[in-house]
Amino acid sequence: MNNAKNLLRNPRIIIFILAILGAIFAIHPGYTSEGTTSHLHYGLDLEGGSWLQLKLEGTLAQIDADPGKIVIALVEPAIGSPINITNNNLLGGGSDNKYITFTTSAPINASQIEGLGLGGSVSVDKPSRDSTQVTIASTSKEFLIRTYLAKSLDTEVVQTSNKDVLGYEIKKSVSEKDLEVLMEKVGGFIVKNQDGTSTYKEGVSTQTRDLTRDILDDKLNAFGLKDIPVRTVGEDYIQIDFAGIDLATAKEIVDKQGKFEIRIQTTGNETQHVVNGDSIEDVRIISYHDNQWHVPFTLSEAGARALQKTALETGAVDHPEEHHLNMYLDQVKIYGAPLNPDAASRLRETPIYSWEASTGTGDGAKKEAKALEVHLRAGALPVNVKLESSGHVDAGLGAQFKTEAMIAGLISLVAVALVVYFRYKRPEILIPMVGTSISEIIMILGVAALIKWQLDLASIAGIIASIGTGIDHLIIITDEVLYEGTIPSTKNAFSSRIGKAFVIIIGAASTNIIAMSPLVVMGFGTLKGFAITTIIGVFIGVIVARPVYGVVIKELLEAKGEIEKRVEVAKGNEGLAD
Amino acid sequence: MATGLTEFLDNFVKNHDNRQLLAFPLAILAVSLIILLVSFSSSGSPVTLGMEFQGGTQISVETINSPAALKEAYSSYHIIDARQAGSRIIMDFGVMDNEKQRQLEKNVMSRYSNVEISQIGPVYGQSLQIQALKALIISFIGMSIVVFLLFRSPVPSFAVILSAFSDIAIALGFMKIAGVELSLGTLAALLMLIGYSVDSDILLTNRVLKRRGTVEEKVSRAIQTGVTMTSTALVALAIMYLVSTYLYLIIPSFTQIPLLSQISIVLIAGLFADIMNTWLLNTGILRWYVLKPEFGGRYNR
Repeated sequence: MNNAKNLLRNPRIIIFILAILGAIFAIHPGYTSEGTTSHLHYGLDLEGGSWLQLKLEGTLAQIDADPGKIVIALVEPAIGSPINITNNNLLGGGSDNKYITFTTSAPINASQIEGLGLGGSVSVDKPSRDSTQVTIASTSKEFLIRTYLAKSLDTEVVQTSNKDVLGYEIKKSVSEKDLEVLMEKVGGFIVKNQDGTSTYKEGVSTQTRDLTRDILDDKLNAFGLKDIPVRTVGEDYIQIDFAGIDLATAKEIVDKQGKFEIRIQTTGNETQHVVNGDSIEDVRIISYHDNQWHVPFTLSEAGARALQKTALETGAVDHPEEHHLNMYLDQVKIYGAPLNPDAASRLRETPIYSWEASTGTGDGAKKEAKALEVHLRAGALPVNVKLESSGHVDAGLGAQFKTEAMIAGLISLVAVALVVYFRYKRPEILIPMVGTSISEIIMILGVAALIKWQLDLASIAGIIASIGTGIDHLIIITDEVLYEGTIPSTKNAFSSRIGKAFVIIIGAASTNIIAMSPLVVMGFGTLKGFAITTIIGVFIGVIVARPVYGVVIKELLEAKGEIEKRVEVAKGNEGLAD
Repeated sequence: MATGLTEFLDNFVKNHDNRQLLAFPLAILAVSLIILLVSFSSSGSPVTLGMEFQGGTQISVETINSPAALKEAYSSYHIIDARQAGSRIIMDFGVMDNEKQRQLEKNVMSRYSNVEISQIGPVYGQSLQIQALKALIISFIGMSIVVFLLFRSPVPSFAVILSAFSDIAIALGFMKIAGVELSLGTLAALLMLIGYSVDSDILLTNRVLKRRGTVEEKVSRAIQTGVTMTSTALVALAIMYLVSTYLYLIIPSFTQIPLLSQISIVLIAGLFADIMNTWLLNTGILRWYVLKPEFGGRYNR
């Protein structure tokens, strides 16, 4: 009794008991008429369902080029005659007060050049009869590189800044060779890192990746289906898990675009169709100006005319307040606001292509604008995605896997217990050992439930493997306690022996953790589960469970007289007493 | 098993000199390396690469038809192989375009029950190959560093690392001979082996270097503890292997679980190699080292 009381005062044992209780609470086992329940999450291979892993296609690079040559490359084909750069202060980069001037013999007007998108303002002079001088101001080298890349590759290009280094994100996959050839034409090149490696990288920026994920999430979870988790894996991959949905259906869902529609209020609550999502040509990143958050988007030619026509017909140009423009995604209203008075009066004269939907001021409005940006894209992704890998397990098969894996775990435990019994032939060793092992499993499962880790087949293999290592370490402790009696030792021989056992155990555990860690860091999908459960198992074992085993086995063996409380000079190999 | 093996190993170690102890494990290591080398020079890879590392589609279904019949039925889909796995048939397909892939998936799902599909793009498969190699190397280097930090002595550390290397090489050689493909599952097993196999080596080295007593005594006690350790692990894995591979023969409603079956068989092979490498190879080197005259019997009293 005394012993039991002492044990309960030991802080290690208190922590251990609390950890077990916490784990059981986290697992939350229960029983209903339909069977057992718990807070454990199972992976798709045990639950049934399918998954897709998508690769986002894009290119990232730091690029330098000669802005004069870019202007030549873009202007000459457009006007069909050669030009001469006469003045140019763009070389240094930056965007303050920058301009570039060229002359040409061809007669050209400002709108011809404006259409090329080379800069903010274009002015055209005629210094002499057969020469035209064009000055493009409010421009920069970076802006020109971006325009050049966008035009030549026919895709969107944005500037990215990562640790103050400017780079370009091309929303299309371009090979390094092709990009080099393209830049050579304008005296440009792909910048090298300080260590001489290229800054060229296949992939997309974090912003693009997250936007793509949000759009997919929006689209998949707007269909009223189950909660379909969309998550990013590594830098360029997105994984979507479809619990209980077969692969063919999953692929259909991902391919299907949302139906986006703009309608205008006619009288009362009545609305009239204006345009569909296909009239929206471009949705840009949200911006803040005039104390409001805005989502900028562009309508196609036909879309802009349709909007002008309905605005005139319904009288929205005269009384904008009475005729809200509403936006719907899959028939659900997601936005509604009146036309801006300026826009309303301009619509009388001309169709408007560039629009901004404003959501107001503050954090709520920013969130709303972000959501609207995602909705407006209606499932159209900012970059191409490629199906990199996919999988499917029938629910029935998953259930079989689950039962069998659990049977394997249970029988393994029994078999290990038998080996231990045959080795030591002492129940006072067997029971704590198997008990410790079971408690380690409970704690691993508790942690898994707590961090909402999805237990898949690989994780269960990890748990079975950690039963193995766990028992190994308990055997080391036991043998140290039982057999290392030949060493002449002084006071506290027992603690020092457990200490020695722990030197070995910690060494072995560190190699286990180190060996598994590449799997956690590198994106290996299923293997991550295996590695994480193994590592959790080793940690819990070394920190919580195994020290307690040491304490318990000491008390039990002392009580049995197998070892003496204090060993002054011990003799013999086997049991020390008697 | 544990007791018999313990006695056998103990006697074997006592009755042979260091050179004799090293001969057998080194011969097996050499044979394994030759197998891997021959495979590497003939196929470009030391082990057979599974679908996950090559790209393609693997579909397994429950059916009473023969593999040959299925191979015939799906011949228009670039089928590479169809084989029996318990009550199921596993089919391997080459890379195909998205449209064809969908047709195949629909077809299979409408005809068979308990379907499992996994598909990997060829580019992704290639990048997984490189990542797998990296993971193995990083894992091995990490383990070597920990071992060095533990013992801070080159020869004993080297003995542990050589023994772990030999475990991996023999496990890989076994995979090649037994026709076990390198998949994500078997890769996990190999990494596990790196961490796991050094447990008994650390036990041995620690006991011999840091305890008092004669070398013979320390080694024989380390064998007792170490073999018990490895045999519990082996028993757990053997059960995992039997259940995931053969349980369906007894309970027809069950099925094979290839992932668990592969992980366990590779670990079993590796741990058998580990028993040999720890108690012959590592012990041989360590015993030679600690009994060198320059230590004046420091480790032997």
